[in-house]
Amino acid sequence: MKVKERTRDGVVILELSGKLMGGPDAATFNDTLKTLLHEGHRNMLIDLSRISWVNSTGLGILISGYSTVKKGGGDLKLLNVSERIESIFMVSKLHTVFISFNDEDEAVRSFA
Amino acid sequence: MSSQDGAMTDLSTKSQRIELKIPSQLLYLGVPDAILMELAGDLPCEQKDIDEISTSVIEACTNAMEHGNGMDVQRQVEVHFDISEDEIAITVLDDGPGFDHEGWIPPEDLLRERGRGITIMREFSDTLRFDFAADGRFRVRLRKRLRRQA
Repeated sequence: MKVKERTRDGVVILELSGKLMGGPDAATFNDTLKTLLHEGHRNMLIDLSRISWVNSTGLGILISGYSTVKKGGGDLKLLNVSERIESIFMVSKLHTVFISFNDEDEAVRSFA
Repeated sequence: MSSQDGAMTDLSTKSQRIELKIPSQLLYLGVPDAILMELAGDLPCEQKDIDEISTSVIEACTNAMEHGNGMDVQRQVEVHFDISEDEIAITVLDDGPGFDHEGWIPPEDLLRERGRGITIMREFSDTLRFDFAADGRFRVRLRKRLRRQA
């Protein structure tokens, strides 16, 4: 998995690409979020449009990231969740945890 | 990888088998997915069905690599795809001792970081079976009926 970072209106947008499947990606993602929190960022938007698939360990990465940001006083939301990934959220009930958007403008405004 | 019947010419009359052996490294989890996605275009079924069975297979292979083979790259996970127009049946074999699948209860904590793999396999397969193959390897068998494309 690759992580590309950009900021828009005070929201850090992390564009993930590849496969979300655990392994070393877990530490990389969590370290990125911890560094951002340390730098004073609180609003994180995770763009999943370039993620081809996610497994249960990949879900664990997102949950760990969500917990890290929440504990740091911030908020983490999702952008561009594909139908395939959305169906995994549904069966694992994670749609009740993550707030997700298909429109970046709307997602960024939601942090205001 | 080998195919029992050669080219896939007529899946309507009988299923055809693909066999795959992958080292126990997460890097290779994309290979069974790639096979199913490649076939998806030629099967007269909903993409959603292929997505769901592929997600299930990725889970089965993740478990086989992590819990069965202990992420030992020298140990392989074997995957059999039996494919027809109406159904995909998949078998995943590893060298591990298996687990108490009958006594397994999904944890309730929504923010837990692990323990969703079996739920995903159950939800996305029409049948899911755990047992041991004749050669002693732990075996997961998944079956998904394919709905005709609308």
